[in-house]
Amino acid sequence: MFISGFMYILGETLKGLYRNRWMCITSTGVVMVTLLMLGLFMVVNLNVRHITEAVKEQVEMVVYIDEEAGRSTVEELGRKIADHPEVERVDYVSSEEHMGRLQQQLGGMLEGYDSTLDNPLLASFEVGTEDPEAVVRLAGEFETYPGVAAVFYGQGYVENLFEITRVAQAIGLALMAGLAVTAVFLISHTIKLTVMMRKREITIMKYVGATNWFIRWPFLLEGLLMGFVGAALPLGLLHYMYSISVEWVAVNDLMFINLLPLQTVMAELAVYLIPLGTGLGILGSTFSMGRFLRV
Amino acid sequence: MVEAKNLSMKYGKGKQLALDDVSFFIDRGEFAFFVGSSGAGKSTLLKLIIRELKPTGGVLKVFNRDAGRLPGHRLPYLRRNIGMVFQDFRLMEERTVYDNVAFAMIVIGSSRREIRRRVPHVLNLVGLQDKAKKKVTDLSGGEQQRVGLARAIANRPAMIIADEPTGNLDPGTAMDIMSLLRSINLRGTTVLVATHNRDIVDQFRKRVLYLENGKLVGDEQKGIYTNVH
Repeated sequence: MFISGFMYILGETLKGLYRNRWMCITSTGVVMVTLLMLGLFMVVNLNVRHITEAVKEQVEMVVYIDEEAGRSTVEELGRKIADHPEVERVDYVSSEEHMGRLQQQLGGMLEGYDSTLDNPLLASFEVGTEDPEAVVRLAGEFETYPGVAAVFYGQGYVENLFEITRVAQAIGLALMAGLAVTAVFLISHTIKLTVMMRKREITIMKYVGATNWFIRWPFLLEGLLMGFVGAALPLGLLHYMYSISVEWVAVNDLMFINLLPLQTVMAELAVYLIPLGTGLGILGSTFSMGRFLRV
Repeated sequence: MVEAKNLSMKYGKGKQLALDDVSFFIDRGEFAFFVGSSGAGKSTLLKLIIRELKPTGGVLKVFNRDAGRLPGHRLPYLRRNIGMVFQDFRLMEERTVYDNVAFAMIVIGSSRREIRRRVPHVLNLVGLQDKAKKKVTDLSGGEQQRVGLARAIANRPAMIIADEPTGNLDPGTAMDIMSLLRSINLRGTTVLVATHNRDIVDQFRKRVLYLENGKLVGDEQKGIYTNVH
């Protein structure tokens, strides 16, 4: 395309934005609020996921060994667990080690107790899995192995944790989809007004032989710009808000709230919000043009 | 250049035929009037030629291509060979005369140099060389139609289609516009004019195709409006 065509498209985009400036500002504003909500939700979701992942990392299973089991059975059991493809790590903990840990935890309360004579604690294998969510299934499987007395993995607690994570992700997705549809509707509505105002011009363009793409470009750019600004401003605002939150957590010594670093969060947000905003803008303009091009 | 074979057009089920079994051939460089009263099918025929509509029956060949079967993406290239002139001028009112003409060249991707060279030339042809910077709303009806004509010829089309080009003009101005169309035709461009202006048709003595209730009821070389029917 010649420079005249490019300049025309650029000029028309800017003129379109200027002519409908109030509608554009309102629309971009609403898109901005929508994406800000989406961004806020993403920040919360990212951190919840971060914390959940950290908790999940700590999920491990303890396979208690039957005290009747012989040495070869225990060795065979250890090998079978270690060879399982979903198992990442296996540590053998003898009943003496368990007692040692217990004594450490209880401090002086077991002073004088001779565990070498009477130790009720069972030896075990502590098992770490590749996928923490596989723990429930693997526990059921390991329970059937010979020489196993019981398997413990924090029953109830782990299932709840995974369920909460799943529900939170589902709600998040639904919310994000809802917000995206709202943004498309708003941008599409604004562009439709611009298109209607320029209906005569578009008809003339069609009569003199303009291609549909030549007609579309200014409107697509208009939508793209609205979407981009609607995403970039909330990104700036979120940067400011998140840096304050990180600082506040540090100042108040709330280190148990393990927030993700600012750069990580902003990189993640930018990767999603900017393409999403511009994509929604383009989608909105595409929806608004259809029938006007049929001349 | 334009060939209709048993062409018919119906706007919807149960509706009367807007064009009924129409056949004709218009050669390169011809000047032809489509005449008839309102609703005779003149505008429908022109819309079919520029493929604003698709025929519901028969074949319409424009530049040797079946216009009805032309794929959508080829449509702009068909229209670049046809200059359109409308009764209501269809100009961009907030723009200057120069911009209105240049616009037709910009949208088909002409270079800036070509636009700067061609626009003053066509404005000169229609006698508007001194009004290039005026807004079209500051011009008279006749001058606005001249802008429409300049825009139509800006891209050097092989054919000009004018739908009631003098409908909104007084008789003197109407004759000026028709003279311009004739001079364009003398340069080799095919000109098709839909009109029900008897005076103009009778004075020009060009080919006249008479439509009535969608049927072609007369086709005469050097015809006059009243004789055809």
